[in-house]
Amino acid sequence: MEALSFFATSWFDPSLLFLTALGTFAGIYVGAIPGLSVTMAASILISFTFKWDINEALALIAGVYVGGVYGGGRTAILLNIPGAPSAIATALDGYPLAKKGLAGEAIGLTTVMSVLGGFVGILALAVAAPLIADFAIKFTSREYMLLGIIGILLVGTLSGESFAKGAFSGALGVMIGMIGLDPMTAEARFTFGSINLMGGVPFVVAMIGFFGVSEALVQLEHLDTPRIKQKVSRVVPSWSDIRRYFRLMLKSSGIGTVIGALPGTGGDIAALLAYDHAKRTTKSPEVPFGEGAKEGLVAPEAANNAAIGGAFVPMLTLGIPGDAVTAIIIGALYIHGLRPGPLLLSESPHLFWFMVGNLTLANLFLLVFGLSGIRFFAKVVECPQAILVPLIVVLSAIGAYAIQNNPAHITWALGFGVVGYLLRRYGFQVGPIILGVILGPMIDSNYRRAMIGARSDVGQFFLDIVSHPISFVLLCALALMLVSQIPLVKRLWKR
Amino acid sequence: MTASTSTPLRPGERLFALLLVLFAALVFWQSYEISGFKGLTTGGVMPMFASGVMVATSIFLLSRTLAKPQNGDGSLAGLAAFLFPLRVVLFALAVLGYVISIPVIGFLPASAVFLFVAIWRLWKTGVLRAGFVTVVAVGAIHVLFRIVFQVVLPSGSVWL
Repeated sequence: MEALSFFATSWFDPSLLFLTALGTFAGIYVGAIPGLSVTMAASILISFTFKWDINEALALIAGVYVGGVYGGGRTAILLNIPGAPSAIATALDGYPLAKKGLAGEAIGLTTVMSVLGGFVGILALAVAAPLIADFAIKFTSREYMLLGIIGILLVGTLSGESFAKGAFSGALGVMIGMIGLDPMTAEARFTFGSINLMGGVPFVVAMIGFFGVSEALVQLEHLDTPRIKQKVSRVVPSWSDIRRYFRLMLKSSGIGTVIGALPGTGGDIAALLAYDHAKRTTKSPEVPFGEGAKEGLVAPEAANNAAIGGAFVPMLTLGIPGDAVTAIIIGALYIHGLRPGPLLLSESPHLFWFMVGNLTLANLFLLVFGLSGIRFFAKVVECPQAILVPLIVVLSAIGAYAIQNNPAHITWALGFGVVGYLLRRYGFQVGPIILGVILGPMIDSNYRRAMIGARSDVGQFFLDIVSHPISFVLLCALALMLVSQIPLVKRLWKR
Repeated sequence: MTASTSTPLRPGERLFALLLVLFAALVFWQSYEISGFKGLTTGGVMPMFASGVMVATSIFLLSRTLAKPQNGDGSLAGLAAFLFPLRVVLFALAVLGYVISIPVIGFLPASAVFLFVAIWRLWKTGVLRAGFVTVVAVGAIHVLFRIVFQVVLPSGSVWL
């Protein structure tokens, strides 16, 4: 009963109610505007909310988090520019749907599935937090390395024309992620003596360049062609659609929750894994994946919102952030004199249940704002491309600069944009590059830790992997993914 | 690996594939320079692995493009029309000018000039209309980023 009163704190306090609504609304726009990121917004919010009451600060930040993860999918659908890494997979089928004039339907379905996925993640946070945290803490560097490699191998799913192009893009992304000082030995890698390169390339800068700027350059070709008007007449999805994709939503939310609970992995990997899972398990979609399959929308959007609840699990129970935003929230808790970790649940149960209740409330606001603000977004898209294209460049410049207030990052983002443009002209996907930039450093550090653990003995290294159940299962999954790319196996699978 | 043999050869695709092979080889050499084959836990292992994948896949892609039949006349004009249409070149030059001018005149003035020129030329509209849209856009950027999000925008060395 006490837990319930903590849960409902923000539901009946007008100021908390308002801040949660404001945060969710603002988050949708922050997530949707190319160049703005939830991480950036959350870090800026902390800078002026540290004097507030902890509940008020958390209500605003949690709202921005929930709204921002969802908002990224909107621009992915309407502009083919994922507003956040977690929306990369959404663009694959969302944009083709928008081009067919089904933008309203796509966003409506995305909204409902995001909210349902969010509820699944919150339920997992409330009910199974200790169990999931126990499972995630068993992961060692071996498992993280394998998980990262599996993530990179998803390029097979992401790459449009050929697996080789996807693999090249993924490896290029890993190389970009390697730029800077080696975190283990402080050895310079690909810095060429430049101080600006010592700190590495922030993945947001790469993401803005490869997605935002390259999209602007590609869009220049289509200035003279009339735009397809985004029909948004039917926003609320049909009941039959919700029933039809409910099982997929549940499975994707399960993936999202578990992946979100793994420290260092967030909605981006969750969405890609869920998309891959949907693509592999959906036998006969109405429309092929990549051409506007609704399954390709439901899976990543349910997963990335479910990952929010998952990401809170290790943060609140172990003090380990599930992703970048929860890392910032940990900072906020420290500022307010709280120590997230195993003792938080017993010492401050009110805070745990407040967060569960607040996330639930933010999800409800997401449903309201998600289903009511689509026409405005469609108007943005109907704005002449001759205005949008230069604006995308300016927003990209702001986003690239604001990450670390470094003017060099503007040049980098625009440079990445030109490279992305050239690659796209020759049929390469830019999604795997971003995946490589994010996962590359994680694979590198975990591989080296695992190899040091095996005393640089290759035989012992592999023995360690096959003799531990979790790493063995991940290795089998990785092997299956590789084998499934062999043309002969593909042909047999299709039969 | 599945090949992209079904898609016709694009203008300059063979040259691009060759450039990718050379770039991948250069990156591999740079990766080797980090720590060579000194050990299995050095900082150069992962870069060498990733660049090795780049070399292997780029060679595979080059072989596939060489196997494709020639599509079109393969002239330089065809390549320029495909890869560097005049509009893209001019826009890229405008972006370059924008990047160079930010540290000189500051972010907002540089953005205003870039937006005005780009919108005016791309939209093929009147000066007043382009100017109005630019003022609204720069005003919105200032309010949203400088005032609401309190993002410190780059200042110029000679102005703002």
